[in-house]
Amino acid sequence: MTTIYILAALFGLLLLRVPVAFTLGGLGLAMLWLGGFSPIMVPQALFSSMDSFILLAVPMFLLMSNILLRGGIGADLFAAVQSWVGHWPGGLGVATIISCAIFAAISGSSVATAATIGTVAISEMTKRGYDRPFVLGLLAAGGTLGILIPPSIPLILYGVITEESIVQLFLAGIGPGLFLAGLFIVYSMLHSRFSPGYQPVPKASWAERRTASLKALPTVLLAAIVIGGIYAGWFTPSESAGIGFFVSLIIVFAMGRMDWRKLREAVDASMKTTVTIFLIVAGAKLFGKAITLYRIPQEISMWIAGNISEPALFVLLVGGVLLVMGFVLESLSMLLIMAPVLYPSLETMMIDPIWFGIFFVVLIETALITPPVGLNLFVIQAVARSSLLEVVRGAWPFVLMLLSTAALLWFWKDLALFIPFRL
Amino acid sequence: MEGRGVPMIRLVDRISAWMAGLAAWMFFAIGLMVTWEVVTRKVFNDPTIWVDEVARFFQVWAVYLAAAHILKRRDMIVVEIVPVDGHPLRRKILDSITLAVIGVFSSVATWYGLQIVVESVRMGRHTSTMLAAPKWMTESAIPIGFGLLLIQVLAEFVKLWRGDAIPAQGHAGDGGES
Repeated sequence: MTTIYILAALFGLLLLRVPVAFTLGGLGLAMLWLGGFSPIMVPQALFSSMDSFILLAVPMFLLMSNILLRGGIGADLFAAVQSWVGHWPGGLGVATIISCAIFAAISGSSVATAATIGTVAISEMTKRGYDRPFVLGLLAAGGTLGILIPPSIPLILYGVITEESIVQLFLAGIGPGLFLAGLFIVYSMLHSRFSPGYQPVPKASWAERRTASLKALPTVLLAAIVIGGIYAGWFTPSESAGIGFFVSLIIVFAMGRMDWRKLREAVDASMKTTVTIFLIVAGAKLFGKAITLYRIPQEISMWIAGNISEPALFVLLVGGVLLVMGFVLESLSMLLIMAPVLYPSLETMMIDPIWFGIFFVVLIETALITPPVGLNLFVIQAVARSSLLEVVRGAWPFVLMLLSTAALLWFWKDLALFIPFRL
Repeated sequence: MEGRGVPMIRLVDRISAWMAGLAAWMFFAIGLMVTWEVVTRKVFNDPTIWVDEVARFFQVWAVYLAAAHILKRRDMIVVEIVPVDGHPLRRKILDSITLAVIGVFSSVATWYGLQIVVESVRMGRHTSTMLAAPKWMTESAIPIGFGLLLIQVLAEFVKLWRGDAIPAQGHAGDGGES
């Protein structure tokens, strides 16, 4: 019964538009007070939640993304990829997804990925007669690759909450990330075949390819340093993010793409995003502590063990709940609320926590492009100055592809687990 | 609009903005520190003893120092199921509930955070690292950060009920950037 009261209070406060961070923190505080626990745990939880070297990766990756975004790196990347694949059927769609996948390997954020590539690709594609809702949907979905292909801010937070290896989580994201990119590419090619209005791009000459590729080379090298450094064990994810930030700074200054005003904008935007995320992390830490003192995750775990015998049914149930939550809840909040609640049940159900992290992130990607609260829909709406309905119309086929991938992950677990555990 | 409370509120807003500016560059400094650590370890084989701790110190301070400004700019993530645009009274009531929740939470965090700091100073607590820094240096971030947030809450209450212009809440998750 206590669990139901807590859930009712949680959703009640969220409905009343109390910020997620303070819904979680306030509820945690109320639970401590009602349970007769000392409120001294509040500042202790607030302090310990931020006193973490692993979490440093979040502001570092955000700084890197924002510096590259304001340095106009997206245009170089898109031009280079387009020079190689632009003449294929649906070539600009293919170039968009490949550019998103490469940028995803630098940035851990779906918004940064969608905004960076969207700024360039939307106008190029619509000029060539691509169906506008398709273009907007493609960019909204392509941006979500940013949180599956490592590095990934949600995977860092999942790793911090569950104390699972962030390196293993990153490696597990590569397979499904590339699979989804492939799926989006195939869909783009098929879509163009049935779109009468679109004009193919002429094939670029070798000289054009060389020039464009040289311009984009620093970005590709940056991706290689960030991911390769983690994979080779040279850096921890936080160190890799720090190095990535510094190298990106050198790149944009060396290319003459950065000035004081842009740098200030990038630093300010990164701070704003970091603090908004971290306040939720701090609130979730306190809430997590309180529900643990009330033994709620354990009760849920026992209820699941007593009522759900099949892991497949558990995953289906969790998937359904997350899908519904994703319609109304911002994606990181969903992760920070649900991960501590569900984590103890994974052992009971004998589900690999690394696999579950990837499954969770695929559902977060779905949440990012489903209305009414789908952050990437808003980003693309703002970048393209279009209606939300237009973006939603283009995004729904990608929702189906994401859900199919989530289902496929259950039947083919090695899609996620092969690289971290068998390669 | 003009009144006795205005200069005070303007001062509160300005302090919050300064603190947020400081926080932004603290994150920037963390990036430089982490890079320095990697270079000294990998290139000179001489790891530092301070980067890990100082970077965490900066992170704790930066997050809580900027919280007041994030509230002022209405950048916190909310779930927008109940519409408020075009419903000024509804917005006032819901904003007041939000400010009350944040106010109560900040008061508790400030009061008990201060007790921890006083205790650390009295006992002479230090971090169990090679730097052995006094613990109150990082622990103070909680009472100071939430103290500033509490003052900003009061300022926002006044602005809300005086009818001052208040920034609209961004889309749910505008700041989330997941």
